[in-house]
Amino acid sequence: MPEAVAMLNITKTFPGVVANKGVNLVVQRGEIRAIVGENGAGKTTLMRILYGLERADSGTIRVKGQEVRIPNARVAIALGIGMVHQHFKLVPSYTLAQNIVLGVEPRRGPFVDHERALREVHELSARYGLTVNGEKKVSDASVGEQQRAEVVKALYRGADILILDEPTSVLTDMETDELFIMLRRLAADGKTILFISHKLREVLEVSDNTTVMRGGRVVGTVKTAETSDRELAEMMIGRETVEVPLREEPAQVGRRVLELEGVNVYDSRGIPAVREANLVIRSGEVVGIAGVEGNGQVELAEAITGLQPIACGRIRLEGREIQNRSTRQIRQAGVAHIPSDRNSTGVALEAQVWENLIAVDYHAPPYSGMLVLAINRILSYAKDVVTRFGVQTPSLKSPTRNLSGGNVQRLVVARELGSNRARVVVASQPTRGIDIAGTEAIRRMLLEYARRGAGVLLISADLDEVLALSDRVMVMYKGRLVDAGRVDETIRQRVGRLMTGAEP
Amino acid sequence: MSSKVHLKGLLIGVVMQAANYALILIMALVVGAAVILVSGKNPVDAYIALFRGALGSPIKIADTLDRSSVLILTGLAAAVAFRTSVWNLGLEGQLYAGAFASAWVGFSIHGLPSPIHITLCLLAGTLVGGLWGLPAILLKLRWDVNEVVSTLMLNYIAILFTAYLVAFPFRSPTAFMPGTETLDATARLPRLMIPGSVLNIGFLIALALAFLIFWFLYRTKLGYELRMVGFNPQFAGYAGMPVRRSSFLAMIFSGALAGLGGAVVITGFFGRFISSFSVGYGWDGMVISLLAQNHPLGVIPAAIFYAALANGALAMQSATGVPQALVVTVKGTIMFFVTVQFFIAFLNRRLRQWMPSTP
Amino acid sequence: MDAFDTLGRIITLTLFAATLRMATPVLFATLGGIFSAHSGVFNVGLEGLLDLGAFFAVVGSVALGSPWAGLALAVVSCLIASLMFAVIHLELKAHEIIVGLALNLFAYGLTNYLLVAILKATGFYKSPLIIGFQPVNIPLIERIPIVRELLSGHSPLVYLGFLGVALAYVGLFKTPWGFHLRAVGENVEAAEAVGINTRLMKYVGMLLSGALCGFGGAFLSLAYLNMFSENMTAGRGWLALAAVNFGEGRPLKSLVACLIFGFADALAIRLQQFGLPSQLVLMLPYVATLVVLILSAIQRSRKAEKVLESPPPATKLVEV
Repeated sequence: MPEAVAMLNITKTFPGVVANKGVNLVVQRGEIRAIVGENGAGKTTLMRILYGLERADSGTIRVKGQEVRIPNARVAIALGIGMVHQHFKLVPSYTLAQNIVLGVEPRRGPFVDHERALREVHELSARYGLTVNGEKKVSDASVGEQQRAEVVKALYRGADILILDEPTSVLTDMETDELFIMLRRLAADGKTILFISHKLREVLEVSDNTTVMRGGRVVGTVKTAETSDRELAEMMIGRETVEVPLREEPAQVGRRVLELEGVNVYDSRGIPAVREANLVIRSGEVVGIAGVEGNGQVELAEAITGLQPIACGRIRLEGREIQNRSTRQIRQAGVAHIPSDRNSTGVALEAQVWENLIAVDYHAPPYSGMLVLAINRILSYAKDVVTRFGVQTPSLKSPTRNLSGGNVQRLVVARELGSNRARVVVASQPTRGIDIAGTEAIRRMLLEYARRGAGVLLISADLDEVLALSDRVMVMYKGRLVDAGRVDETIRQRVGRLMTGAEP
Repeated sequence: MSSKVHLKGLLIGVVMQAANYALILIMALVVGAAVILVSGKNPVDAYIALFRGALGSPIKIADTLDRSSVLILTGLAAAVAFRTSVWNLGLEGQLYAGAFASAWVGFSIHGLPSPIHITLCLLAGTLVGGLWGLPAILLKLRWDVNEVVSTLMLNYIAILFTAYLVAFPFRSPTAFMPGTETLDATARLPRLMIPGSVLNIGFLIALALAFLIFWFLYRTKLGYELRMVGFNPQFAGYAGMPVRRSSFLAMIFSGALAGLGGAVVITGFFGRFISSFSVGYGWDGMVISLLAQNHPLGVIPAAIFYAALANGALAMQSATGVPQALVVTVKGTIMFFVTVQFFIAFLNRRLRQWMPSTP
Repeated sequence: MDAFDTLGRIITLTLFAATLRMATPVLFATLGGIFSAHSGVFNVGLEGLLDLGAFFAVVGSVALGSPWAGLALAVVSCLIASLMFAVIHLELKAHEIIVGLALNLFAYGLTNYLLVAILKATGFYKSPLIIGFQPVNIPLIERIPIVRELLSGHSPLVYLGFLGVALAYVGLFKTPWGFHLRAVGENVEAAEAVGINTRLMKYVGMLLSGALCGFGGAFLSLAYLNMFSENMTAGRGWLALAAVNFGEGRPLKSLVACLIFGFADALAIRLQQFGLPSQLVLMLPYVATLVVLILSAIQRSRKAEKVLESPPPATKLVEV
């Protein structure tokens, strides 16, 4: 098969980090190539270089045999390269068809021909067997449909090389299967597919070959059929992976700390995001909620922590009802919250480190009197907590935006767990985007906290994380919480089925 | 983290801020000099005349300080609002509202001992200024009406309404310019001991407020909340802080400070409410605050600089013929450079990445 | 009957004609604000741009002896000012509200200074040297009795203003350029991803808002009045912001707000002729703006509430 893409000896450095070093990648036409690696391995940078969003410092790129320079996305598109990003780039108030043709829209005289656009989009989708309703507004389309629209967007511009960045991170298992059918069909049609993923099971399922990257270099390229997820994981991490069984002893479980009874929450568009949720967490227990993002987890966490009102139902903390109370009251009662988006919700980046650390407890003694803050008290508390949780910062008075992502998350954890008063910790995606050391540290801290008698609600899209830390697992699917039971040898299958919406 | 190293880090920070600050003012003066040159006059002579007019003698210095009182107060008003990310552009209107209220208390109530009368006047100004900020913040909290335009509209309404009050119901028959009757002597702010100068305790009041606001923003619970809401309201709400209450209080306090500024000008300088007494004190206050990076203490030197510009301008015009309007150009240039300040802050951040970190 | 009589004398055809006239400067600024808003920039500097436009229109007219020359100079000066604003906001990343305010103050300072330096006047400049726009009588409409009072005999800029609304509508919603511009304002990453030069689009949006304010300012000093005075813009740039807000970026809807302001302005002048105190009456446009702001905010919150009240469509969640 002729060569579709060759990236040879690609090096790219950003201030302070080498993203790609001497990377070689050669992909044949009609091949489905997976590129795997941990966060920061350089996979996304490499693909952004191919798509013209970044420029390599050195190296050569060949597309369909010709050596080329790709200074921007326009050139990439002209060369037949299309990219579907992890976070979709769609204009919310436009229809799917309008988004697909944006930039190369058909014209009639000086005007845009929306009818022809719709027709062409439908023809194209039909040709590849993709169901895309062009007339739907983006805001009304499902995540799977939006993704298909992104693929059609690339195809519409004549792409025969498709790059997909973590395409399955927002899909259910069923939508993932459909995606893979679509990819195979496209490949059979002569399209070349490159997709970035860190989900080894899926990579094994659909790719022809897999390239593993680590620390900016290519560790190796293997035929997918001839490798295993264990081997790939070893290549990714560089050491024997251990399915970290962090829970050495069974949990000492006590009385109920958090109970949800028939909780219903509506999202900002008036659509039920959480339906009839029932949940019980006991002291000393870690309950994990597995599920692809977008099934109501955010709304559930916000409802428990007071950031969102509940339509009906009850939430009890150690027997006391806390539903629909103010955030301050809920936190006072003993609920800690590690939010999923640390930068926009978890900290004020412009504020100083100590100001962020005291944000929940500042208002009561010993940290303040009636009017005035007890600054010295606060600073010594901050110092203590920063040391205990390993937050790397030049000073307590540094602006928080100077800290690395991992340290910001440690700061958030330090604030939420540092005072030891929380009876329940709601942790949403606590280790997302964090390096390995930071991830292990945060997981240990959560377990430690549970061991000391609190209840931990762990909401994570990372199934391995949920299974490693939890005593019991629930699955959130389309707003409903289903109990998958205790973590044992068959938990993975049970959870997998529940994540697709199968009956328990 | 030893406190000595801590102090050093703090000092470096302060020095950098001051340098930043001074750089902007110098650049603006340079641009002014260029404009003077282009119109055929000698900038050195002009600036010397400006300096002499503003600071050339103890009396002149005192007068400049007096003029800075209201600017300090409007600067503080802007600082409190901007720190909370409340875009109160209605300072001018709140100034007028407070000014009129204080004048009314000054000429309507008689026979009170001076300290009480003055206190009532200033209180009236503060209260009414704060009340004038109320509609805008209520609209924002209830219906999410953008406060930028609503506060601006309230400006015009306040200025026009007080102009009406002065032209009709409260018109003073003896007045040369449209104004109210004069305030009782008991309502006038006492002069400070510099014979020949108009400097009065208004300046001390302004200074005191600057320190008060500094203490408020950095040492109290409420001030901390305002600042955190200004940094990231979503975060503040998540941590349990009362976000809406903070925006509300920021606007009220801001209006109150502006109103107090108006009261100080009326009871300290004019002695009655005059129709167009403000030559943009509210607007100047905003720029002063931005120049000082919204820091309450930093407002003081900026306000004095602005006062010096204004006081020296007339002297400059009569001595060298350079029109007073140059000052307005310089002010505009300052504002222009203030925005570039953000570029400097960006540069600063980059620089810090290379500098050794102070523990 | 006295009340009706008075009302009849206040509300005349000339009042409505005046409405169209008085709406024009706000309309131009509003159109400018709309383009800027669609490119993703909240242009707070409209007031200053109108000020610059008004000033340089007079300068141009005096220097070159024609109102069109004045208009040209107004547009050029506003383009330069908008370019400055755009560079500072887009390249130096300054906060748009602050830069907008800076533009206002800078414009105010510059026009004041140049008023003295170039035109040798203080406070205002009035001179027979200023050649203003002559009213235009539209041939056919001239003959129709009532309509002619309303639609004919306006300054050419009034007609250009309303033409501008139509052009803005077509430009934004029918042409590829508008299709791209609106995408930039809504999701700049999506626009970048399809190869639209978002930087350029933002510049164009800003420059357009400047140019349109040039027209608005020129109207003030060469058509509405034949002079320049220090505060002649009287907050119209702010009224424009309210109109942009109200219209949610749609030219036709914003036109409604502009007409309301125009009416308030015209009414204020008319009422003054009836002896009502000028200060009170002049508050009308600003009060009207507040009302418009409140109405558009209520309308927005009603829309949001409606979404929450309607029974959630059962089909929504049974996807795939």
